[in-house]
Amino acid sequence: MNTKNKFQEVSKLAAVNTSEALSKLIDRVVSIEFSSAEVKKVENLSPIINPEEITAGIYLPITGDIKGAALLIFPKETAFTLCDLLVKREPGTTRKLSELDISALKEVGNILSGNYLAVLSNMMKIKIIEHIPSFSFDMFGAIISQIITKFAQKVEEALVVEIEFIFKPTILKGYLLMLFEIEKIKKTLGLTISK
Amino acid sequence: MDIEVKMGDLVVKKNPDNLIASGIGSCLVITLYDPKLKIGAMAHSMLPTRPPSRTVRDASNPIRKKKKAIRNPQYEVQAGKYVDGAIGEMLKRMEFLGAKREDLEGKLTGGANMFAGFASDIGKENFIRAKEKLKKEGIKIVGESIGGSIGRSIEFSIASGILTVKVKF
Repeated sequence: MNTKNKFQEVSKLAAVNTSEALSKLIDRVVSIEFSSAEVKKVENLSPIINPEEITAGIYLPITGDIKGAALLIFPKETAFTLCDLLVKREPGTTRKLSELDISALKEVGNILSGNYLAVLSNMMKIKIIEHIPSFSFDMFGAIISQIITKFAQKVEEALVVEIEFIFKPTILKGYLLMLFEIEKIKKTLGLTISK
Repeated sequence: MDIEVKMGDLVVKKNPDNLIASGIGSCLVITLYDPKLKIGAMAHSMLPTRPPSRTVRDASNPIRKKKKAIRNPQYEVQAGKYVDGAIGEMLKRMEFLGAKREDLEGKLTGGANMFAGFASDIGKENFIRAKEKLKKEGIKIVGESIGGSIGRSIEFSIASGILTVKVKF
């Protein structure tokens, strides 16, 4: 099994748990799909979204047996629609983020990255600890460049997972970026899965 | 013509072009301008100073003689990546085109901290390093849009020397 397929397997397992947790939080059936999972060079992360597009970024430091960070990126409209659902507003009414909205989005970030990391952690039989999230709502380029700068010296590759939130008939998109020692994960997953 | 200056890049031009940098966060964009000769330079720097080279020590050698430094080629220096190196390189290229140091005007943009949870403030470190280096090189700073937790985009006209900062909210 190649690296891409391995990460897709992780994505499938994580999606089931994430859908369940998010449905409970929102009190409505929502299906999460981690629709693609690719390893990219850290310096090639910028082109995934236009650098001037306004996005919500949720940054979660990771420690334990691997060190790095998870970064959730939601385009502005995805963030607003999620807030409508999370805070139970009429669809289309969120046009500005309140403290409550930010807190709700951080919780979604926790659920998404937490479930993904839990699957990785179980498969690899290693300890992964996720820390308190930080939030930013600004141009994508400004958000991602700070993350790239922080990790460019230590981490060469990132796992880029595309997220789809499916609330029929609406589909929203986002990204989960994992920046840590991908080589270590690839090796360990290879061993574990081939057994 | 609009020329985009991406992270780590450095551009020096004597034509009436516009130099553009989009989505600047903790990075620092340094522009230098010679209003007499209309020479413009822009560097989109990520970090204040180049770190010391990684070295390999030979454990089998009792003297543990330092071997030749090994650098990861993937992160080999882009001309604009480090603030201090970028300023030096811009000056060198501008002087080659005939610019005089005493005529040059510096402007600084960026140096934000997009996440309050970050322990280190790399944006601030970039700004401090640039101010030190420009002072040492005898370049006056005539404008700055620095810090906070906001992203910025800029357009720098070499024809006029005007730098326009765009923020989005």
